[in-house]
Amino acid sequence: MLSRDAEHLYWLTRYVERLENTARMINVHSELMLDFPGDKSLGWKPIIKTMDSEKLFQNKYSEYSEISAVKFLGDDKENENSIISSLEMARYNARAIKDDLPRSATEQLNNLFNEFSGGMSSSSSRRKRASYIYSVISGTQRFFGIISDNFSRGYAFEFMRLGRFVERIDMNSRIIDSLCINKSNEQTHDFHTLEWVSMLRTLSAHESFRKEIRGEIERGDVINFLLKNENFPRSIYRCLTITEKSLSALPKNNDVLEVIKKLNHRVFSARLNVYDDKQLHNFLDYLQRRIHLLDEKIHKNYFHNYL
Amino acid sequence: MKISWKKYPNASTYDEYVTPQNSLRGHSKKIGTFLESLSIEDLKEINIATEAAIKSMGISFRVYSEGSLEGQDRMWPLDFIPRLIRKSEWLQVEKGLKQRVKALNMFIEDCYNKQQFLNESDIDKSLVLDSPAFKTYCIGMKLKHSAWSHICGSDLIKAHDGKFYVLEDNLRVPSGVCYMLENRMIMKRVFPELFYQYGVTPIDAYPTKLYETLASVKNSRSKNPEIVLLTPGIFNSAYHEHSFLAQQMGIDLVEGRDLIVDKDGFVYKKTIEGLIKIDVIYRRVDDDYLDPEQGNNNSAIGVKGLIKAWQEKKVAIVNSPGCGIADDKAIYSFVPKMIRFYLNEEPIIKNIKTFILTNKEQREYVFNNFKEMVIKPVAESGGYGIVIGKNCTRQEKESTIRKVRNNPRNFVAQPLISLSTAPTYSGENIAPRHLDLRPFILTGENQYVTVGGLTRVALKEGSTVVNSSQGGGSKDTWIV
Repeated sequence: MLSRDAEHLYWLTRYVERLENTARMINVHSELMLDFPGDKSLGWKPIIKTMDSEKLFQNKYSEYSEISAVKFLGDDKENENSIISSLEMARYNARAIKDDLPRSATEQLNNLFNEFSGGMSSSSSRRKRASYIYSVISGTQRFFGIISDNFSRGYAFEFMRLGRFVERIDMNSRIIDSLCINKSNEQTHDFHTLEWVSMLRTLSAHESFRKEIRGEIERGDVINFLLKNENFPRSIYRCLTITEKSLSALPKNNDVLEVIKKLNHRVFSARLNVYDDKQLHNFLDYLQRRIHLLDEKIHKNYFHNYL
Repeated sequence: MKISWKKYPNASTYDEYVTPQNSLRGHSKKIGTFLESLSIEDLKEINIATEAAIKSMGISFRVYSEGSLEGQDRMWPLDFIPRLIRKSEWLQVEKGLKQRVKALNMFIEDCYNKQQFLNESDIDKSLVLDSPAFKTYCIGMKLKHSAWSHICGSDLIKAHDGKFYVLEDNLRVPSGVCYMLENRMIMKRVFPELFYQYGVTPIDAYPTKLYETLASVKNSRSKNPEIVLLTPGIFNSAYHEHSFLAQQMGIDLVEGRDLIVDKDGFVYKKTIEGLIKIDVIYRRVDDDYLDPEQGNNNSAIGVKGLIKAWQEKKVAIVNSPGCGIADDKAIYSFVPKMIRFYLNEEPIIKNIKTFILTNKEQREYVFNNFKEMVIKPVAESGGYGIVIGKNCTRQEKESTIRKVRNNPRNFVAQPLISLSTAPTYSGENIAPRHLDLRPFILTGENQYVTVGGLTRVALKEGSTVVNSSQGGGSKDTWIV
């Protein structure tokens, strides 16, 4: 497989996964806000912070209002992590390798681009926004469904899976981190419970979580579930395992496998449920740095191996 | 309101569906009757369905306008009423095309070797030897199966006598074949019922035949030759086609930066596993951009050392560098003579009469009969730079004549031919529009001609410009 094609496939799925996660985040946060209509302390700031985009946001918008935040996360082309920017980057990468994708997958991507390239453009109407977000998510899922159903297993498939899961680990760890770093002690217990639930829902984890743990929602349980659960496909541990599986199927993988195996072991053995917020934040920070290192090594090993 | 052939505004030219007396021709009776059963609203609906299919399949082409480097993607325009050609007629055309391309390939190899045709015919040698398409690095080269232009796209038109003529031969990097294949895919989605009734000859063999042609020119003995398609990149106007063909053949679509000529002089592609040796390059890049060591470019598109690797037969390039020498509207007029010279046969498909403007007598004749003439630049494609005499103002006429006098080698003239028409959806009703046809001819170990080809149609009333970049559309071509 061409090095350049591998790179495009990897980034294609990274961007599609990213836009799906951003859409989920907007959706769940909007719904959370509905439960606290009067509460000014709960804003969109933590979400923007999660994306590392505070500076850009503050330069462009005067306050963390719902309208500005949703516009920034959805339609703002200057925000390189917005839904629209991710769509454009996905399209760019797809265009370069459309000969590698099954025709049905290309068609699904085209539909996604055609339908959403105009942006939400109606961030003020909550109903329209919700339906836009739901269609984006079901559109990306259809794309991934076609890939997993119709695409021969081989290098191309592994690079697509790799991109998707590296992105998911990166995004999920940010989302979990956002709750550690932004917690204020003035909030009520009820509020924290709602926050944990909303995080579970952002990661589509609520129902799966409920199947394993019933009753009162405890912080330690949620953290263990999101980071260490072995069955839930969006848990960090599970994503790391899939990443390792993909890397094992690639050639010349000693270097990259070493990084992922170590990281996997670290997550597996950490007693995260007893970590306090600071410890957890440090752990997630470590996780992010290792994922960036892995991403770097993947680039060096497979994409830029002739530079 | 229903469609009626009685009200079809049949013009003075040859219409492929309807006789001058407004009755359906034999081979168009079935579909003509079917169309008559439709209402204007039905047509509108079919048109919407067609456009939706095109959009969802992502069939596009790129148009470049002034001031925009990246160009713009436009949806491929397909008219849903098929063009029909009788099978018996087509078999003759197919024979004629094979004959023609065979002679052209012999001509190219001859030009770079003994130059017998140049020496023994009445052709002005300088037409070949002074042409920028004549590559000195090809001199002395002999190629496998003597194939230089492995993929040729010849443009045919049907004149007022209902017969096909060759308008020009595109021997360098002809494009359009993917639209031929995709038009059929769309039509199957839109008109499944018609295919059941009609017995349309399938066209899907092309990608397989193309692959066989490419594999047949490899220099190595490997059973599974490594073949790649070399594209200038995603901003090229034909990128959609490059990617389509690579996918259909299951070969890698590469850019110049994906290839390298290593120390051993062989060409390799850069993969995640390491370098892999390439046997055949199907290039969709012009000669001058193949290799920065040759020609006058410092472009990033090419591969350094590629021409040398080709000369040393370490890689095969399709179409071969230097084959553009026969792709010149002045050379075109000598093709019938080439057929007689090399094959000792009479040409099966006729040329359009062409006036060579370096010849003083022919030039003056053209100027004196300007209104009946079309003046064409020899090296342009895409329909650019064509002057139609009868549409000229006096000033335009004078300025054209001046241009020709200053540089007669750059132009040829042909009498204005009225292209045939076929019924086409006009946005409201069905009306006659002018057509041409581009079949593709493959030459390797064997010869193959596409079943029909890409039919292009001028969508504007009365217009004869069929190029998609200038408001042309296309039709699915049915051999029935």
